[in-house]
Amino acid sequence: MDAINGVTGLLPTGQAATTPLRQAETSFGDILTAMVGQTNTLQQAADQAIQQVHAGDEKNLHTAMIAMEKADISLRYMVQVRNKAIDAYQEIMRMQV
Amino acid sequence: MDIFTTFDIAASGLNAQRTRLNTISANLANAETTSTPEGGPYKKKSVVFQTEALPFKQHLQASLGNQGQTQGVKVARIVEDTSAPQRIYDPAHPDAKEDGYVEMPNISVFKEMVDMMSATRSYEANTTTIKSAKRMAMKALDIGR
Repeated sequence: MDAINGVTGLLPTGQAATTPLRQAETSFGDILTAMVGQTNTLQQAADQAIQQVHAGDEKNLHTAMIAMEKADISLRYMVQVRNKAIDAYQEIMRMQV
Repeated sequence: MDIFTTFDIAASGLNAQRTRLNTISANLANAETTSTPEGGPYKKKSVVFQTEALPFKQHLQASLGNQGQTQGVKVARIVEDTSAPQRIYDPAHPDAKEDGYVEMPNISVFKEMVDMMSATRSYEANTTTIKSAKRMAMKALDIGR
């Protein structure tokens, strides 16, 4: 949906004047920040699970492993999104004016 | 994130099989226990599995139709075997009755071993599900490369 909205913003008609304002509320940076926050939460959950296993609490071994896997996947995803964003930025910077 | 649902379901399976293995190990350890604090020989314990109740969020999503009824498993309760204990003639045994018979637990070690193999295999199946889900997620991330 966002991609389509982005295309309409390029149209020369004056109809899309309201959409850029609405989009400004949730910028790409906000989405990225939310994602980093989510990844961080999963990392902290993994840390907590590992600590609980070490301390000999009732947590099972597989709970810690699964928490670690979740943290791993979310981190990889975040890195991919970051790579894409940097790629796009560099592509634009290379553009001839 | 939705890709982690598989992880949570498989984790419930791992938990259930772990509990099952615990009861099996208790049964094996007490295969020849003739006296318990409650009196009488040890009674064989076995687990009863039940589908896990969905949290409210998942219930909502399921009813909205964007997700099937995915449910985990949990151990509903641990039941004790109610069958009569085995009676073995051994008058020299300290727990022998007046007629010389000793009441032994109704546990077949072979049966317990087979149950243990089954629990181990189920545990492995659940870990394989997790590995599979992880592989799928990694493949999805490879799209961007």
